[in-house]
Amino acid sequence: MSRPIIIGAGHNGLVCAAYLARAGLRPLVLEARDEVGGCAVTHELMPGVRVPALTHTVALGADVVRDLGLDTQGLHVTSPAVSVCVPTKDGRALVVPRGTAAAVRALAPWSARDAERWPAFVASTQALTQAMGAVLGQVPPSLDAPSPSEMWVLLRAGRKLRGLGRQGLYDLLRWGPMPIADLAAEWFETPALRAAVCARGVFGMQAGPRSAGTTAAWLLQAAQEGHPTGAVTVVSGGPGAMAAALAVAATSAGAQIRRTARVARIEIDDDGVRGVVLDTGERIEARAVISGADPKHTFLQLVDPVHLQPSFRQQVLNYRAHGVVAKVNLVVTGLPEVAGLDASGMPIEQALAGRLLVGDEPDELERAFDCTKYGRMSDRPWLEVTVPSLTDASLAPAGQHVLSIYAQYAPYRLREGDWDSGREALGDLVVSRLAEVMPDLKSQVLAGEVLTPLDLERGYGLTGGHIFHGEHTLDQLYAMRPVLGWAQHRTPIHGLYLCGAGTHPGGGVTGAPGAHAARVVGKDLRRARA
Amino acid sequence: MYDCIVLGGGHNGLVYAAYMARAGRKVLVLERRHVLGGAAVTEEVVPGFKFSVCSYVVSLLRPEIIRELDLPRHGLEILPLDGTFTPMPSGDYLWRVNDHARTFREIARHSRVDAEAYDEYGRAMVEMARFVKPILDMTPPDPWSLNPRELARLAFLGRRFRDLPGPDRYNQVQLMTMSATDFLDQWFETDVLKATMSASGIIGTFLGVRSPGTAYVLLHHYMGEIDGAFRSWGLARGGTGAISNAIAAAAREAGVEIRTQTSAAKVLVRDGATRGVVLENGDEIEAAMVASSLDPRRTFLGLVGEDELPGDFVDGVKRYKFRGSSGKVNLALDGLPDFTCLPGAGAHLRGAISISPGVDYMERAYDDAKYGRYSRHPYIDIVIPSLTDPSIAPPGKHVMSCFVQYAPYHLADGTWDDHKEAFGDTVVNTIAEFAPNFKSLIRHRQVVTPLDLEREWGLSEGNIFQGELSLEQLFFLRPVPGWANYRTPIQGLYMCGSATHPGGGIMGAPGRNAALSVLGKTR
Repeated sequence: MSRPIIIGAGHNGLVCAAYLARAGLRPLVLEARDEVGGCAVTHELMPGVRVPALTHTVALGADVVRDLGLDTQGLHVTSPAVSVCVPTKDGRALVVPRGTAAAVRALAPWSARDAERWPAFVASTQALTQAMGAVLGQVPPSLDAPSPSEMWVLLRAGRKLRGLGRQGLYDLLRWGPMPIADLAAEWFETPALRAAVCARGVFGMQAGPRSAGTTAAWLLQAAQEGHPTGAVTVVSGGPGAMAAALAVAATSAGAQIRRTARVARIEIDDDGVRGVVLDTGERIEARAVISGADPKHTFLQLVDPVHLQPSFRQQVLNYRAHGVVAKVNLVVTGLPEVAGLDASGMPIEQALAGRLLVGDEPDELERAFDCTKYGRMSDRPWLEVTVPSLTDASLAPAGQHVLSIYAQYAPYRLREGDWDSGREALGDLVVSRLAEVMPDLKSQVLAGEVLTPLDLERGYGLTGGHIFHGEHTLDQLYAMRPVLGWAQHRTPIHGLYLCGAGTHPGGGVTGAPGAHAARVVGKDLRRARA
Repeated sequence: MYDCIVLGGGHNGLVYAAYMARAGRKVLVLERRHVLGGAAVTEEVVPGFKFSVCSYVVSLLRPEIIRELDLPRHGLEILPLDGTFTPMPSGDYLWRVNDHARTFREIARHSRVDAEAYDEYGRAMVEMARFVKPILDMTPPDPWSLNPRELARLAFLGRRFRDLPGPDRYNQVQLMTMSATDFLDQWFETDVLKATMSASGIIGTFLGVRSPGTAYVLLHHYMGEIDGAFRSWGLARGGTGAISNAIAAAAREAGVEIRTQTSAAKVLVRDGATRGVVLENGDEIEAAMVASSLDPRRTFLGLVGEDELPGDFVDGVKRYKFRGSSGKVNLALDGLPDFTCLPGAGAHLRGAISISPGVDYMERAYDDAKYGRYSRHPYIDIVIPSLTDPSIAPPGKHVMSCFVQYAPYHLADGTWDDHKEAFGDTVVNTIAEFAPNFKSLIRHRQVVTPLDLEREWGLSEGNIFQGELSLEQLFFLRPVPGWANYRTPIQGLYMCGSATHPGGGIMGAPGRNAALSVLGKTR
């Protein structure tokens, strides 16, 4: 009995490995890079200063943390009390605390009506996301021919949804396909608050707040983070520390991890998977290969087309994964002042501990999106900024701070020029945009780095530079992720599985796709053995 | 004494009235204007020139209605409208017609691959339309209800979906959620082909061709059939109003009484049930049933009043989105436009002429609208019905109908009354770029803005479908979740207009479905 191979030591691959190892299957994880974690890594930007290279917050499921005993493996997370801070053009700054009562107090000076509606909004969102949790926590059933156990899952999910009550069920059905801008406008009148809601719906998406279906993406984010405008969870030592804890959990249970082992192709014969071939030519046999790479990379790069039905291959080709996110990390000499924060009455260290949103009304996000439709970088991108050094002093020497910035929209495919020649300009653009709310920023920057969508593809293996391994649109979620009929982590090739963010429930550092995949693979392998 | 009063003499109100009368009910239809048909009217705006002022082509009118109401006997004659001609700024053009071989050659001139894909695409869309069609004729189920009838309806849908062949199931899901261009990108490479095809995905919506959700509207336009021929479009002889007149004649024959220039001021409600209506002149007319073909805003916030309704229902009505996005320019012409890219008065002028030269062109038109101005370079769907039906213009003269998008109801600056003529100029100038002789032919111009549609034709915010055809406002969510079965919280008050399932267009299905539902005859 050969050991199962997992391609990629991203967080989902590691979670899958840890679960399989605990089931006694001794998986072998092959990682192309020389470090584990995939998009969840911490690296040194300048001597003595470390930054979250890509993802800056995590949302690991409580079940994953518990099952794998991550807290005892040294995983330490902090969740600041602020959800989001939105500086506005009129020189103020809206700070939304996570707690409902505190948020009501903070919103009152902006709009009495919004403050009054906030608790109902939080309650509605939580009711929906909790009911969704039953769905998100399960492998999607096959819609064609549900097995008795899948029917049971469907029925249980159905009961959970009925538990929402009539209004709640209608909300869920109505909200899903809506543009997030419409939902925000139904509830609130303060433009900055609307923008804060919208930003969570379009983050990582090739979509603007007016695009239909962004409410579904927002619900998915809200379900992951348990808050309608997002909640930041920071790992001490950066996201790389989480990856390290996952790696320890996996190896101590019997998994083996090989770094700098890049899989060049998957070997397949008439019976299914035979193993993998590394780019060095080395062959490793296996009857089960679980790919943590995105669906496009897996099926279009690693699998010979002769092994796929043309219609399936076509569906994978049509799977949408056009990345729109760029990442800029900065080291600054001190915590930059934020215009308008004094008036909020909150110390800047607290106000900036959550997310900082640059973009103070939905139309600003929408205008930023317009450029992508014509293959251009946004003239005025919107930014999601965190300052991880505020919650984790180990990242930078005293006094210095690191700013971790997501800039949207930077379309992977440019009509003119290319990202290699556009990288510097992108960095300058992002710094200038951020300087609109941090007036002294430019003089405070010590060092920085820019990751374009092309860098995300080349350096992190994200096809199209898409941070979620494919868009979170209605036709690419749940039983349709990545492709209708193949949402159970199995693929048309016997023995080949998917465990990455390109499977249900999608992107974000949740570990759920990896955990679900381990369940499916474990069941199949036990059955094969029996 | 009437059994039923129908508010609004648009085509849906008339269909509803006809079916109720044929079931033996005594029905009265009240129409505010002097002419029947609502937005499906013919009006002689200039002597000798008959304009289909609002709605201008027909395709979706349910064949059951034509058959059951025997509309041809009542004067309905539909003339085929063949082809779509799309002029391009490059001096080239794309001209698709119903003749398969010619269209193949024409598309192959632009791309061989697309010509082949076009056949396959057409077949797939017909399959999809076949899947959706029975849904058009059903009362939407209530997903909350555990009533066996409702569950059976849901199960019917589930089974239909499951019985689709794999690729069709995949297409169906994509159609429900994707954008028109994303969907078309999977089939075609020619920009102008995708642009002109995607145009039918945005008609009447406040969405762009790249907005998710527009692929479904593509399908909506594939469901038309005339004399059993799928996706064919036609013109009613005598203008669109002839359709309404035929339905009205069928209704009158069944015993319906119709009063024009009579409008209701209030729906009478006592103890949660309707008792009739009060007219503008103060007269009261009693009836146990009132059916409104007006949109929910006018019906519930205008005629019923918030106080009579549960709060969550009122919230639902207030949330219902209209956001009209289109306008109309109707022209009386002294001759025919001469297109630079294909000169002469050929057959290309007899079908639709589509100003949709590129996907970016379409998308930029939408970008203007998003931020509250009409498109500087709008999408225009032009028809010259007098070429097919000479009865609507004096000899040698012509009528030209220009459907224009985007004309957003909510403007960032000024009002539609300020911009009306400038908007008309934009449309004329846009067409003149492709047909330079065009301006000199114009004898009279009628500009219909979204505000005009609201004031004159009673369409809230100028939405031609009585509310957006977006996914969250379709099927069991239209117009208010929980109230998609043509009923309302007021006993005896029903809805039968385009704001109910399956939505707008000259389809008649809302009126027919509502009547059959009220009569207890639906599936």
